[in-house]
Amino acid sequence: MKRYFKYLLPAGVFFLLLWGGMVVCRADPLGLLKGIPRGIELIGHMVPPAWGKIPDLLRPALETVQVAFVGTCLGAFLSFIIGLIAARNMHSVPILRDVARSLLSAERALPDLIVMLFFVAIVGLGAFPGVMALMASSIGMLGKLFADAIEEIDPKPIEALEAIGATKIQVIQYGVLPQVLPAMVAHTLYRFEVNIRMSILLGVVGAGGIGFNLVTSIRLMRYQEAMAIILIILILVTFSEKISDLLRKIMIGKEVLR
Amino acid sequence: MMLAIRNIYKKLPDGRPLLKGISFDVQKGEFIGILGESGVGKTVLLRCINGLTQPDHGEIIMNGDGHPQKINGKKGKELRTIRRKIAMIFQGSILVKRLTVLENVLTGGLGRISTARSLFYGFTEEEVHHALAALSQVGIQNLAYRRAETLSGGEMQRVAIARAIFQKPLLLLADEPVSNLDPKNTEVVLDFLKPLTEHMAIIGVFHAPKLVGKYCTRVIGIRNGLIVYDGEPDLSDAILNLIYGAGRPSPVALTN
Repeated sequence: MKRYFKYLLPAGVFFLLLWGGMVVCRADPLGLLKGIPRGIELIGHMVPPAWGKIPDLLRPALETVQVAFVGTCLGAFLSFIIGLIAARNMHSVPILRDVARSLLSAERALPDLIVMLFFVAIVGLGAFPGVMALMASSIGMLGKLFADAIEEIDPKPIEALEAIGATKIQVIQYGVLPQVLPAMVAHTLYRFEVNIRMSILLGVVGAGGIGFNLVTSIRLMRYQEAMAIILIILILVTFSEKISDLLRKIMIGKEVLR
Repeated sequence: MMLAIRNIYKKLPDGRPLLKGISFDVQKGEFIGILGESGVGKTVLLRCINGLTQPDHGEIIMNGDGHPQKINGKKGKELRTIRRKIAMIFQGSILVKRLTVLENVLTGGLGRISTARSLFYGFTEEEVHHALAALSQVGIQNLAYRRAETLSGGEMQRVAIARAIFQKPLLLLADEPVSNLDPKNTEVVLDFLKPLTEHMAIIGVFHAPKLVGKYCTRVIGIRNGLIVYDGEPDLSDAILNLIYGAGRPSPVALTN
């Protein structure tokens, strides 16, 4: 019994904080229960989903995927370059390294929606600011992950290539890239999954795609259409996860086979 | 005179002197074996020759084609131009593990092609042909498309030799190329190394005097930062004591 006493204080503090937090958030479990009938009523308005609208929704859905795809690809490409600059073992200009890492940190601190609004202010509404926002947010994450991966490579093959008289770019192409490629692909695939969801959200604030359709249909109280859109979103997200898993398995499979 | 090493001085990071004035010349066709206790500075000396390390004092001059060039102190493009003529094999071979054997050999030619070409085009069929020829010269052409990491230590070292052959250097530096191989593989690798002296000079750091006696044309022994022996590879016990210290023969010398 005695040994549980030492957990008593931390547990007590934890639950005190939890209760305090619920008070501040005005947690209302009773209200939640009371609202259930209204929830059921809302879902009632949403079924059956507006199946007939689905063909019209395919094009915005495609746009959402494209925004995520292009944003991820551009982001990954630029992240590789920035990762090379930010990595400790790639060059001996500490200022550049620090600046690169700081910029990446700063980007990660910005909420994606703010980045999106920034681009909307520059280039207007539509898919393009969405692509830019996703590219920027991908760079924030992937830049750091890539730089870390680059820092962990085996330095000896790099030295061997330098000893042969290869240029810096040749060393990167033949010595660095082969070593970090699997990690970079894995990170990028994961980022793509995240970006699909982000693309939907950004659509709500004007980046086009199916997110825009969703918020419009809700505002116009076309709940059955909204339900159809939600179903499409579910399929999109699940599909992107499955493809991402599949591609990752193919890459690992190639490793083992070769 | 192909390579002139003049009075090389090198201090350890903590300030203690390591190499205290190493001088010798290298001619084309020589296979020089460098012997000495561990830590005496053999690897450091080798790394000074291709600029991976800089000596504190002294000069290293290469004269492959009638134009003598100083190696130490060079940087950037000048250093790269010189390095293209010097190949290096390390202990543990150091290939790019995820590339295929053939791709690893081809990297030996990177010094010859421009960055733009290697980035956007790659190697010509003729170059691939030469690379495969280099692989067959060391007897492993059948492994050309295997990923380097799937090979055994001895096979990887042979790929490194093929890479050096493909590089067509004037000088080959071998830093303990066989120290981590079993006796059979050691012999195989050295059997492939020796005939290369037809086209280039080889300077190798070794730990086994008996091997050196069998394959090298000349032995240089380093002790206490200075050359204590420079001559025939036929090493008597007296000479070994000179190199490794009287009364304390190197354990490797014993097993050989």
